[in-house]
Amino acid sequence: MASSAASLYLDPQIRDWVLFPITLVMILVGVLRHYVVLLLQSPPKKLSRAAIREQRALMRAQILRTTSANSPVPPSVYRSISQHLSQAFVDGTYLKDGPPKGDAPSAPPNPLTDPSQMDGMMAGMKTQMVMMVPQMVIMGWINFFFQGFVLIKLPFPLTLGFKSMLQRGVETPDMDVRWVSSLSWYFLNFFGLNGLYRLILGNENSADSSRDMTTPFAAAAAAPQAPQAQDFNKSFKAERDNLEFAEGLYEWVGKDVETRILKKYGRLS
Amino acid sequence: MDLTNSLQKLAGYRPRKTQKSKETYDKGLILLKNGGYSRQGDEGWETLEKLALAALDQGDVEIADQCLQLIVNKFPNSPRVDVLQGIRMEASEPPEVALKFYDELLESDSSNAAVWRRKASVLRDMGKIDKAVEELSAMLDTFYTDVEGWIELADIYASCEQYTYALQSIAHALLLAPQNTFYFIHYAEIAYLAGDITLALKIFLVAVDMTDDDDGPVPPQDSIPVGLTLRAWYGVKLCTRRLITEPRLVSSSASQTAAPSAAILSNIDELSAERLRTAYMNMKGESAPKAEKELLTALAVIIQ
Repeated sequence: MASSAASLYLDPQIRDWVLFPITLVMILVGVLRHYVVLLLQSPPKKLSRAAIREQRALMRAQILRTTSANSPVPPSVYRSISQHLSQAFVDGTYLKDGPPKGDAPSAPPNPLTDPSQMDGMMAGMKTQMVMMVPQMVIMGWINFFFQGFVLIKLPFPLTLGFKSMLQRGVETPDMDVRWVSSLSWYFLNFFGLNGLYRLILGNENSADSSRDMTTPFAAAAAAPQAPQAQDFNKSFKAERDNLEFAEGLYEWVGKDVETRILKKYGRLS
Repeated sequence: MDLTNSLQKLAGYRPRKTQKSKETYDKGLILLKNGGYSRQGDEGWETLEKLALAALDQGDVEIADQCLQLIVNKFPNSPRVDVLQGIRMEASEPPEVALKFYDELLESDSSNAAVWRRKASVLRDMGKIDKAVEELSAMLDTFYTDVEGWIELADIYASCEQYTYALQSIAHALLLAPQNTFYFIHYAEIAYLAGDITLALKIFLVAVDMTDDDDGPVPPQDSIPVGLTLRAWYGVKLCTRRLITEPRLVSSSASQTAAPSAAILSNIDELSAERLRTAYMNMKGESAPKAEKELLTALAVIIQ
């Protein structure tokens, strides 16, 4: 092993003209990608008043429900709010398009036909393209010009298990594992540069490759438009049951508070 | 400070001419003169916003305009700046102009709650209480979680002596912020004004339960009520006194809150009197007046 390591001598030109350029190009492409993504991002679409009202109506019921076991409001008030909400849910007062007509079961809207949904999906796709295309180009470039290059020798010994990781594209069974091939150097950079991007571009950068690798459609799914797809009429109906259930659990915080206080101050035992 | 918070603050802004705004004004002025705001990043811009508000408070429209110009140049199209401009307009222009400005803003973006609330407050200042209530209720119907909005609505109702409606508004604020004792006391005080004494008594007691220092080094009966606890005990005392002297109040609760039994009531009455005496002793350094009436008047001065 020692003799084979000594017999390999890397031309400094490889360092200057292959190793550094690959690293530099990858860094620059990452920075460029960050700015392109910033340019492509359209500002989140403003919801109309009715849509916000629809979205937040459920929250009203939830707020009421979460306090019910130890509610700050007296029973009569609690009951009137609860019944008002549940009646409003039945009548569809909070629905964006007014109360539903007839009792035909409304199919959940197809996300592909709704233009606002499409926007969200397109934005996700665009970001994805900006992520993937440059990486493919760089990989092609390295494969075309530098295939089979050995670029660098790691300063520490490694076991044979790392061979497939560090010497991709160089099929020599008995070369020391410490030598790194050009394609492997690309992959090392691809995963390893995130820390550097964070340093250059701040924490919320879009050059970070780890995100787009893990979830191809997460950007589209996590877009703020996504919750619109849910059928509010149905969730309102479900919320009614929850409200009734919470009403059964209702307990006023002011119930027996006198005795509680008297006990606390030692007037009652 | 995040955006929603700041927007809520701006929405609730009212000129007060306080000492604090004078201080902010004097300090901010130096910063504006030497251009120090631009070196501090985001914080500098926030200071500039504060200075603008303080300048308006002090009636110095010129300085406010200077700040506003800088802010507008830096952040065009920001809803927060829009609100700030509206406040500036309210300061010197007739309310109709500001109202029109807000209307235009709402037309282009109907989801800006802060602008909506400012509009309601302008309407209130113009004396169009009914319109203000209408706007504010419509806003709260959409943006239910705006606690300050509910409190403002309650305030408007209370100023018109519509205590029942005021109670309903604060009930929503209580649901939204059940950890805030101040709202409880507010609720109890309005209930007291509305004549619902049994409810007021209960809520005052809840407030006592929330604020007193039961994890402190001394047992609760030896602790000294201060601040909100004192205010709550004072309310308790007022309620028990009225319930004992006017028995018909026991059964006239609008919220059908049952009054405690006579024995418990007198017990609570004694306890609250004892608590109030302790507080009085501690603050004045002399023993409290024997007569309950005098004690209550003396304490009313302290609590104010």
